[in-house]
Amino acid sequence: MDNSVIEQVVEAVLAELSRSEGVTVPEAPEIHEPEERDITSEAERAAVLVKNPVDAEAIARMKKYTNARVGVGRAGTRYNTQTLITLRADHAAARDAVFMDIDRELLDGIGLFAVESRCTTKDEFLTRPDLGRQLSDESVSVILEKCVKKPDIQIFAADGLSSTAIKANLPDLLPSLLDGLKNRSGISVGTPFFVKNGRVGLMDQVSELLEARVTCVLIGERPGLATAESMSAYIAYEARVGMEESRRTVISNIHRLGVPAVEAGAYLAGLLCSILKAKASGVGFRRDTGNEG
Amino acid sequence: MTLKSTLLGRTYTFSSVKEVLAKANEQKSGDVLAGLAAESELERVAAKEALSRMTLNTLRENPAVPYEEDEVTRINQDALNETVYNGIKNWTVADFREWILDCDTEEKDLLRVSAGLTAEMIAAVTKLMSNLDLVYAASKMRVPARCNTTIGLPGTLSARLQPNHTTDNVDGITASVLEGLTYGCGDALIGLNPVNDAVSSVTEVLKRLDDIKNNYGIPTQICVLAHITTQIEAVRQGAPADLIFQSVAGSEKGNRAFGFSRETVIEAHELLRKHGTSAGPNVLYFETGQGSELSSESHHGSDQVTMEARCYAFCREFSPFLVNTVVGFIGPEYLYDSRQVVRAGLEDHFMGKLSGLPMGCDCCYTNHMMADQNDLENLSLLLASAGVNYIISVPASDDVMLNYQSNAYHDITAIRAALNLRPIREFELWLEKMGITENGRLSKHAGDPSFLLGKKA
Amino acid sequence: MDGEVITSVGIDIGTSTSQVVFSHLFLKNTSGCFSIPHIAFVDKKLIYASQAHLTPFKTQTTLDDEALRRLVLSEYENAGLKPGDIDAGAVIVTGEAARKENAEMLLNSLSDIAGEFVVSTAGPDLEAIISGKGSGAQQISKARGICVINFDIGGGTTNIAAFDDGEITAKGSLDIGGRQIRVEDGRISYISKSAVKIAAAAGFYPELGEPADPDMLRGICRAMAEVLEQAAGVSPADDLLEEVRTAGSTFFAAPGNAKAVCFSGGVADCIHSTGGDPFRYGDIGPFLGEEIAGSRICSELTPLRGKETIRATVVGAGSYSTTVSGSTISHHGSVLPLKNLPVLKLDHFEQERCYGGDSEYLEEKIKWFLGQNDTTRMVLSMTGERSPSYARLKTLAQCVGEAMGEALPAEAPFLLALENDTAKALGQAIEMIAGPTRAVVCIDSVRTEQGDYIDLGRPIMDGMVIPVVIKTLAFG
Repeated sequence: MDNSVIEQVVEAVLAELSRSEGVTVPEAPEIHEPEERDITSEAERAAVLVKNPVDAEAIARMKKYTNARVGVGRAGTRYNTQTLITLRADHAAARDAVFMDIDRELLDGIGLFAVESRCTTKDEFLTRPDLGRQLSDESVSVILEKCVKKPDIQIFAADGLSSTAIKANLPDLLPSLLDGLKNRSGISVGTPFFVKNGRVGLMDQVSELLEARVTCVLIGERPGLATAESMSAYIAYEARVGMEESRRTVISNIHRLGVPAVEAGAYLAGLLCSILKAKASGVGFRRDTGNEG
Repeated sequence: MTLKSTLLGRTYTFSSVKEVLAKANEQKSGDVLAGLAAESELERVAAKEALSRMTLNTLRENPAVPYEEDEVTRINQDALNETVYNGIKNWTVADFREWILDCDTEEKDLLRVSAGLTAEMIAAVTKLMSNLDLVYAASKMRVPARCNTTIGLPGTLSARLQPNHTTDNVDGITASVLEGLTYGCGDALIGLNPVNDAVSSVTEVLKRLDDIKNNYGIPTQICVLAHITTQIEAVRQGAPADLIFQSVAGSEKGNRAFGFSRETVIEAHELLRKHGTSAGPNVLYFETGQGSELSSESHHGSDQVTMEARCYAFCREFSPFLVNTVVGFIGPEYLYDSRQVVRAGLEDHFMGKLSGLPMGCDCCYTNHMMADQNDLENLSLLLASAGVNYIISVPASDDVMLNYQSNAYHDITAIRAALNLRPIREFELWLEKMGITENGRLSKHAGDPSFLLGKKA
Repeated sequence: MDGEVITSVGIDIGTSTSQVVFSHLFLKNTSGCFSIPHIAFVDKKLIYASQAHLTPFKTQTTLDDEALRRLVLSEYENAGLKPGDIDAGAVIVTGEAARKENAEMLLNSLSDIAGEFVVSTAGPDLEAIISGKGSGAQQISKARGICVINFDIGGGTTNIAAFDDGEITAKGSLDIGGRQIRVEDGRISYISKSAVKIAAAAGFYPELGEPADPDMLRGICRAMAEVLEQAAGVSPADDLLEEVRTAGSTFFAAPGNAKAVCFSGGVADCIHSTGGDPFRYGDIGPFLGEEIAGSRICSELTPLRGKETIRATVVGAGSYSTTVSGSTISHHGSVLPLKNLPVLKLDHFEQERCYGGDSEYLEEKIKWFLGQNDTTRMVLSMTGERSPSYARLKTLAQCVGEAMGEALPAEAPFLLALENDTAKALGQAIEMIAGPTRAVVCIDSVRTEQGDYIDLGRPIMDGMVIPVVIKTLAFG
């Protein structure tokens, strides 16, 4: 077949195509200057992305009742592009929260020294929870050397599953908590520190090592798409390795959009004192107000 | 009994049936964590080779947990159809695999043989099957079930609509329900995982879901997935419930860690028969997932596929309406990456179907696993091809309460369109009547939750 | 603590009738066991409602406070309660009664028998909101996600409130009511000023003592209903709408998206059931009801029957006037309760200055405010930042501590109310500056406006929360 034949065929096909009915080509939308925007901002998240809704106000109201991603609209059966990219951004933030380490400078800034669990890599941390509950041998020596022994209250932080949570909350929570304890006379507070690749259960070893009465670990929660910044506090009275999980008191959802870090710090100060006074934590501790003295 | 095999001139010996079963598993981080996994790829294949020559009879006689010690083993062994079993007991696992895959073996044959199988036999053959084996074999079997509606018929793909909320706020839950309905989701179930396990709170949510179901005349069922004892109490106090839910494990000890036993399930079953709001006869809902036994130290030295198969042996005793594996929720210490999650999803679905169960799947992952939304979309498409009864769906894949990702409402419509599957018939008619679909395709109102606000059935 | 029940009283003294109700309000920690507590009202139950008594007057315009006191005391007895059993609530003097010169004395005379924390509240805007909550209009609006206008039509005034998805979006009051014209022995015995205005605009000139002509009175009521149509936004507004606005009330700006209308107050019952002797109550209430039933309000909007009609205000006062503070707060229980505290609300720019540490500015502002109000007690209020850094919070605490220390007498407590949830941290930081001898009360989840007054109750739920009543206007 020579080229002219090919050209003829192509022309015929094109002519046929242009005649065929039912083929609709969408009109090209007007071209706008790209606007400055951040699709992860609160305003963008609150926006109703459903095309031509029956009642846009009603959808906006629904969005106020839940932080589930409703009113996101669609492209055929799939997400529109804004929703797709927002989801990817939130997942990326969550992945970074799990896999990134805390900067040394941040810890220096709030006066914490750093030690490690027995996990040497993030991978090991994720697949070996048993090792994440134990301090490395070197870390044991460092802690014994640097920390006050037999404190009434021992506080430490661990990255857990979100270093982002520690980064976002610890610098404001810790001083608020320590000031709150300072206000209450007669309570000795141990030397705070940070544990890399640490899990909640590590607090049991810390408690035994330092002979603390109340131990509190501030730890990053497993990040969701809604926030990667959520931190929890786990508290136990006379924590011991192998004790029942039900002896821990947990306060979760500490972040910018949940309980603000400064407020959580002030609340925890009261709670730690109540646990110290009650000599019990977890199911054995009847939560009181923490609002007085 | 042969517990050894030779590969590439090297002989591998195993000390027990349990060890062969564990080492024959495709790699799972949970088996590694438990210290049960094969130490090399060759050892894994050697175990498969040894397993392929083992007879079904040997597997029956070596349950993962002894009969005397464990309720799940007893339920499984006592309910076996001995006639069927006697017909197949001398098959090797290889024979069994090839019979399943044989072009002449049909649904009715598979479901008949199912009555003579123990969990360990089902787990064993699963370990010899490739991913496509699992898809193809499962696609031969449809297991419908009936509550208010019938799900699981050929040509259908149903969805559980999961409208979870961080504080169980009923208005927020309603928003997610309306959104999901306009994507054609919810024909399997509208079911919420509550934050608050108090009877009063669970009752309030059940009432709201019941109101929505009745106001719009939706042919479906509702459930709040609180602890089974909470749901029992709520129904006793008059809460409307079509189904009662419980998470199950593959051993009695595991179920005790979940806070229930066989008696609790029987109680729930009886209660619904008298006071439930559904027609039945299938009124129970179970969830499972590989690794849960290890996490409660109730795995009795067995691998997670075998323990998962035992969950299904427990479930089938109660003729449930829904059973689904929550395949990627448990974390990387049990299923490390998307490869392991996809494999587990296909295994669980096949094992459940071969156990005669109406299987669904929550295709999901957490943010600390080596997986992303693309992997999850792959798995749901594979399962839909394998004939899964239903999958879980949440608003835009983000479950804000459980902090994990599952299939989006959107995914259900896309999979149905791509594989030419439909919602169940009653629900499809309802979607047409409401104007959410037109001639089986999404209408311009689909995806607009405000569209339903002014409409009542 | 899982839950607590508090007993609340509502006392409504209206132009024509007065009522007393008692409610149980159920408080519960609604957050999960892994979260910081969140205490909220989860249920409200009416346990006793008195009949509607005719409000005792000594003269045409002066309330009989002694008779009222006896009336209220007898209702306590009927309900089997003592003033000491009451934890919360409100006395509301509404309509024309509130304008009488002895209203303040009356409220004072009732406060002591109505329980320790019971407070006196009034103001037509607040009445409008309270009656709209009591009638059920707010709940309907929230349940259906629509905009509902509530008309609470009493003897002297019609209080109007609009709720959109449960949120108040407009409020106001008009001098239109069933007892604007009264009839005794077939003759007109009273005509209010606003009734004269409305009648004149419609071409009627009723005289005191003349025989009650049903056609004329019906005509005047039709004119009144037309003014209400204007208020509802279903007819174009004219000057009359502004002329009959109740003194001290906001102009009611009708929302454009109203879908339904709800009626409460005594006249509401005449809207829902018409017919019978038009002068059975000795006033024009039945005529007004019939005219409203036939007006454009009921044809343009969906008319709904309120859960409460004549009792809407008193039920609202008893069940909806009290709120609770946030659940992480800072307080010295010993200084509470405190009543009738004027609120100094900082606007956004002033708040910014305080977070920046400008204590001189704040000190001047507080001194000015105390002088204006001729008082030494006040609540400093601001929205507050949602999640400030600790450094910023300490700067704010320093600023507030210094300014209040300078401006307030040595024995006066530092009282703060924020909207955003940071009160416990701020209170703690201020205590560090104020020293141990100064009482500091810092609460959050409280939204105030300039000109509000506030009551802080005795802490409840093991001290976790403080009952709060916010008033838009108080006597004195």
